[in-house]
Amino acid sequence: MSVTETTLKPFKEFAEKNGDYYATTFLKVQQETLSKWHVNKAAALGGFFWASLRANWLLFWIGFFIDLVALVYLGAAYKFKTATGSVLLDVEKFKAAGNEAAAQNKMFLIERYENWTSSSIMSAIIIFILGRIFFGWLADRIYFRQYNAWRVDHTKQSGSKTSRWVMLAVIVALIAPLMLYRSTQFAPDARTCVKQDRAIAKGEEFSFQDKFNCKVISDFPTLFWIDRPDKYDVKRAKDGTRYVERTAPTNKTPINLHTYTSGKIENVVKYLTGFYSYIFDGIVSVLNGLLGAITAIFAGTPWPIMMGALLAIAYYAAGIRITIFVGASLTYLALFGFWLTAMETLSLVASATCVCIVMGLPLGVWVGKSSRGKAIVTPILDIMQTIPSFVYLLPAVAFFGIGVVPGILATVIFAMPPMVRLTSLGIQHVPESTKEAALAFGASPRQLLTKVELPLAMPSIMAGVNQVVMMSLSMVVVAALIGAGGMGFLVTRALANSDTGKGVLAGIGIALLAMMIDRVVQKANNGQS
Amino acid sequence: MTNMERGKPVISCKNVWKIFGEQADQALEEIKRDNLSKAEALEKFECVIGVRDVSIEVYKGEVFCIMGLSGSGKSTLVRHINRLIEPTAGEILINGTDVGGLNAEDLRAMRADEIGMVFQNMSLLPHRTVSENISFALELRNVDAFTRAQVAEEVIEKVSLQGYGDRYPSELSGGMQQRVGLARALAADPEILLMDEPFSALDPLIRRGLQDEFLALSKVMNKTTLFITHDLDEAIRMGTRIAIMKDGEIVQIGTPEEIVTNPTDEYVAKFVQGISKLKLVFAHTVMVPVAEYEAKHKKLPALKSCPQAGTEDDLDALVAKAVDQDKPIIIMDEGKPVGVVTKDSLLHAIRGDS
Repeated sequence: MSVTETTLKPFKEFAEKNGDYYATTFLKVQQETLSKWHVNKAAALGGFFWASLRANWLLFWIGFFIDLVALVYLGAAYKFKTATGSVLLDVEKFKAAGNEAAAQNKMFLIERYENWTSSSIMSAIIIFILGRIFFGWLADRIYFRQYNAWRVDHTKQSGSKTSRWVMLAVIVALIAPLMLYRSTQFAPDARTCVKQDRAIAKGEEFSFQDKFNCKVISDFPTLFWIDRPDKYDVKRAKDGTRYVERTAPTNKTPINLHTYTSGKIENVVKYLTGFYSYIFDGIVSVLNGLLGAITAIFAGTPWPIMMGALLAIAYYAAGIRITIFVGASLTYLALFGFWLTAMETLSLVASATCVCIVMGLPLGVWVGKSSRGKAIVTPILDIMQTIPSFVYLLPAVAFFGIGVVPGILATVIFAMPPMVRLTSLGIQHVPESTKEAALAFGASPRQLLTKVELPLAMPSIMAGVNQVVMMSLSMVVVAALIGAGGMGFLVTRALANSDTGKGVLAGIGIALLAMMIDRVVQKANNGQS
Repeated sequence: MTNMERGKPVISCKNVWKIFGEQADQALEEIKRDNLSKAEALEKFECVIGVRDVSIEVYKGEVFCIMGLSGSGKSTLVRHINRLIEPTAGEILINGTDVGGLNAEDLRAMRADEIGMVFQNMSLLPHRTVSENISFALELRNVDAFTRAQVAEEVIEKVSLQGYGDRYPSELSGGMQQRVGLARALAADPEILLMDEPFSALDPLIRRGLQDEFLALSKVMNKTTLFITHDLDEAIRMGTRIAIMKDGEIVQIGTPEEIVTNPTDEYVAKFVQGISKLKLVFAHTVMVPVAEYEAKHKKLPALKSCPQAGTEDDLDALVAKAVDQDKPIIIMDEGKPVGVVTKDSLLHAIRGDS
């Protein structure tokens, strides 16, 4: 197609100033003939000034960032330069006092600061020049997108107006001075600032600059100080009843919000474990019962029978190829002396999976069917999944002590969300029309659930179970930290003794265990559907 | 037929309204008072009028077609019959029982025992075999497995699916799946069939076949059928009577012939335009009475030299008699000539001019 004046007209209309240049450039962009090394010289020279003139705020921030970084390096150079000066003064002092050794020590600092000064200046120059060239290279390519947006909606900003420099001035004034000041100062550390806070409370005076440095360019300041709360302890009286003993703090220095709240949390935990221990003991005994039964099956069965049973299950559920893999993995575990430990781990995983299914399935159905259930449960699941697993190890130990049960509970917290999510997903994906048909033939809500929704959601639910098993296995090592034992314990012990060889062997064992279960469960699922 | 001959209606809807939206009741009041249109109600209350003051009566053994374009409220209306949708106002009676007054248990019993429903997208359960799908309604009523299997076998024969009982729906073609859908609706031997565009998703040849089979089956079983369709041809083929819906309202109710020859308004007339009248219009509507003919022309030509036809013969039959000769057709009733159909009037009738 030939290029005529009408082809170029919209480009010029958009660019206004320097229309001819932008018309040819944009045409090249459209024809995909723009040179790889094309740089907009006006943009490269003008930087973010150019971008704000053209109202391209993306380019403005890129350009502003480049210049700011260069400026901060210059500020740092200034900082090191002045530091050199003050060190030199010290050296003079030491020399005058005849302390040659101390002076020599400081000379080393001078050398280091001088190096930093020159390298900062170099960095500033390189960043500025390369940054501006990059900016110029980027400019027309991004500016073209603005043109496309403007084509769709002519109210979008176009052309070039110097009035836009008002906006630029505001932004620069808000950001640049503080950034520049920060780069020229050695920021005080948090400790210095806490000391300063306490000294001010006692009535000492500090210069404005010191206070400013602490409040603005150091860590976020401690806004208020709180008196220490009383300490609570749950004690047992001679007649066996429990009571709360309250002691006033001996240390009177005020504390910050963080310390205050963590103390309160500890008090709550103490109170709950002191007065409601029967609840936690109940949970522990129920889970211990479950675990005992499952362990009796896995670890109590003699190994020849157990191995045969596992192979048979693998064969019927997943076929010969996977059975060979399972056989090889079991042989590895047996030969390297992991058999009983692996069975312990399997018991832990099986118990955790049981709990996850028993709790997760009904919860998932509720979430899938009720919007309120979804609103309540979803954020809790998000929390369960995002909290790092180490975080809830501590409360688990506080409430349930050391051992396998808190390990199972920590595992459940970690592994249950996919069960709930996938169950609810499966329930939600049952077609509305199928449910309607079942209702039209007289299904009651219960029949609808058991005869239509759960069967149709089954593939999704089974995927959830598989996820639960996998995630439980991945928690084995973490749970071992609070005494869950099994293969995870071997890994943590190897870690503690930095015994690489043993760690690797146990790690491979866990991986094989996981792959074994995964393959069998997945194959069984696919075979069904 | 007059209403007296038909007896009591099996299904009767009285002034049924359905308004979707949060302020349905308030909207209903104002729509009734100010006669607001669909668009006005949407703007004022953010409510959609699904069904607007519909009253219909369906009699024993009838195939009552509800025809309308998508969004006309026909599927919404049919879901009121078994209360899958609750009406905003009005009542629905089935054999004199108010459906709205049933408790949950009675409603389920009625759905399972008295009403069978067929859906456009079949909605079969993919994890159950054809037999299990068919006997689903019985299973919901806790009928034992042996009886269920027997009933399923019987119904499978009725819809000619022999040998497919133990297959899964996904192994069947669309047409066969809809036979399963039909069989499922018939399994509990309900008095009423609700068919929501049952054949719309099928290709034309299969659709034809299923329509014919259903008509034959329906004659034998004498079920009362409410048949939803968006296709006037289908409505005319299937329907004893047809109701035409537009924007939630019923525009016209009548036999296929009444609808085709006497549309009440522009909207219905537009639909009818393209419909072939050959099988729908009969000699008695197009003939000119003998006296009128004699007043205009001379005497009636000799009876023997003219082709003759009865009053209930359709246009197709008349055309067959009119070709290859020039004489008008004499329409006979009980051995006496009652009217005359000339070639001109025949051609006008085929075109649909009145």
